[in-house]
Amino acid sequence: MTVLRLLWRHRALVDVLVRRELTARYRSSLLGFFWSLLNPLLLLTVYAVVFTLIFQPRFPGGDPYPLFLFSGLLPWLFFSGAAIDSSVTLVDNGPLLAKVMCPPEIFPAITVLSHLVHHVLALPVLLAALVVSAMAGWYPFPWTFVLLPVALVPWVLLAGGTSFAVSALAVHFRDLRDLLGHLLNLLFFASPIIYSLDGLELPSALQATLMLNPLAPLVTVFRDCAFTGRVSSPGIWAAAFGFSLLAWWAGTRLFDRYRDTLVEAV
Amino acid sequence: MNGSILFDDVRKVYRWRGLRRGGDTVKGAFFHRRFGRGRSTLEQHVALDGVDLEVEPGETVAMIGPNGSGKSTLLKLAGGILRPTTGTVTTVGRVTALIELGAGFHPEITGRENVVINGMLLGLSRTEVERRIPQIVEFAGLGTFIDQPVKTYSSGMHVRLGFAVAVAVDPDILLIDEVLAVGDEIFVRRCLDRLAWMRQRGVTMVLVSHDLDLVSHFADRAVYLNRGRVVVDGPSDSAVARYRNDVAGEENVADDAARGVRVVEEGRRWGNGDVELVEVFCTSNGVRQKLLPSGAVCTVHLRYRVHRPVDDVVIGVAWHRVNGGLVGGHNTDVDGVSPRRLTGDGEVRCVYQVLDLAPGDYLIDAAVHARDGLAYDYFCDATRLRITAAVPWPGVWAPHHRWEGEGPEWE
Repeated sequence: MTVLRLLWRHRALVDVLVRRELTARYRSSLLGFFWSLLNPLLLLTVYAVVFTLIFQPRFPGGDPYPLFLFSGLLPWLFFSGAAIDSSVTLVDNGPLLAKVMCPPEIFPAITVLSHLVHHVLALPVLLAALVVSAMAGWYPFPWTFVLLPVALVPWVLLAGGTSFAVSALAVHFRDLRDLLGHLLNLLFFASPIIYSLDGLELPSALQATLMLNPLAPLVTVFRDCAFTGRVSSPGIWAAAFGFSLLAWWAGTRLFDRYRDTLVEAV
Repeated sequence: MNGSILFDDVRKVYRWRGLRRGGDTVKGAFFHRRFGRGRSTLEQHVALDGVDLEVEPGETVAMIGPNGSGKSTLLKLAGGILRPTTGTVTTVGRVTALIELGAGFHPEITGRENVVINGMLLGLSRTEVERRIPQIVEFAGLGTFIDQPVKTYSSGMHVRLGFAVAVAVDPDILLIDEVLAVGDEIFVRRCLDRLAWMRQRGVTMVLVSHDLDLVSHFADRAVYLNRGRVVVDGPSDSAVARYRNDVAGEENVADDAARGVRVVEEGRRWGNGDVELVEVFCTSNGVRQKLLPSGAVCTVHLRYRVHRPVDDVVIGVAWHRVNGGLVGGHNTDVDGVSPRRLTGDGEVRCVYQVLDLAPGDYLIDAAVHARDGLAYDYFCDATRLRITAAVPWPGVWAPHHRWEGEGPEWE
């Protein structure tokens, strides 16, 4: 809570720094800000081509596969992008921390927020794809799409908690930066993003292990809203919120523990 | 304007990890609480060790001392960038730290956008920064470059913009770390001019500098730090003199090892003791005086004893006001009358035909030192003199004078 209060007090600064992050990223590229829209669009196109013309993965609830995949991939890209960028955000902004003086909390927050902006800009692409396939009669439009802002909340909390933890730890343990990519990769395949747990034929022990993955309810909740068109069971919602709140709490606590030594270490 | 700084028994210890050993990993950090206590892979460096310091509103204080003496750490603590390990740092007023000019400018975005961000980091609101942008651009002399990405700037432009933003913030306390060492001469002069103007407006300043001439000109007071401790905290000239002495002493360290440096009365008197000032006093017409009317004849006597003959001798006197301001100073070297050699005990006198000082109390420093600054005996506040006058003339100079002119009808 104290973190939120601090961020609120510095909201004007957070606002300009997020803008800086976004403008600096696309500065001197020809299409500039359009890339936020174009990136997911191209990604979707590639998946559509690969998974309808080349492979045709079939399992219950996974059809049409490009939409299925895309609806799971978007929040994952938001989360993993924020996690990876947060491993360098404090070091990159070291001069501001060490020479100008500003609260270190704002940097992981800015990382998450700028990725959130990209994510929100990608949602219209998903929406458009859903509308097109509904009109073409391939797939009924999921009206639960309106619940998406709620389904996004646990993702933001998770990304926030992870970014706080990773940013502070990466300053002291630089090995984390290399390790993180592999950890995320493992988590990616352990989560029901490219597959669905219902449609998987696995030894039941492994199935149970995958169910324990705390990310699973978050993926399920998001995909149920954005693709399947049903409201997930209260248990899954509770699991998603419970886990993400825990991640937020642990992440901010960890950050707090290292806060005072950050400036010396960057 | 009322910015003040108070350090109370501040200690700052930097810790870092030594060679990574088992357990000192990410996992180790998670379980640090439970298992990590007392493991000695931490190495430490004491940057400041029990520093007490008070900077009054409107004061300009310089930090001097060799590299690694803790000057920058002290500045960062005052700026709130670092926190003390123990002790407290209290600041009142808005603090701006000029630690590295233009630090944190993002190369990809324009100067204008960077100015907004830096200004906001320094505590202004967005509209306040935007209102000051013309003034900032003017001072930095950037013209239309302000709307170009910062990566296209020359290093001079970068530094000028950094300085311009920092001073535009109107701080109550300005912390300056050696930043005037960069930039060309014109820029440095403009900066100094700007700093002098801010000082007149009552901005409290703490500066770290290796430019000792700048320190004695610009600062009211200087704090000489060595190995994290305050060696001298006093009028800037005496602190600078002491520092110069120590530097010169270190260069002659082989000699000194034989003789043993003798420091008497920590902070007020120092030197290696080859020549000792036995007595310093003032006379007027052959009579010892502690109190003289303005305009009287005055002689300052320096009685010395030679413990070891020296060939390189400068004898000097400096006058201060009680509140620390330098009134004047002269030495035999500057006056071109240096004695060639001191072998036996004796007395040197500095004679003032007319001592036209304004009324008040004056402190006299006396010194015998080598040309490179190595002190044999540097004696701050060796004697005092009170000057009286019928008229309470302000300032330090009360010369005989008269008024004349053809225009007015004189009484």
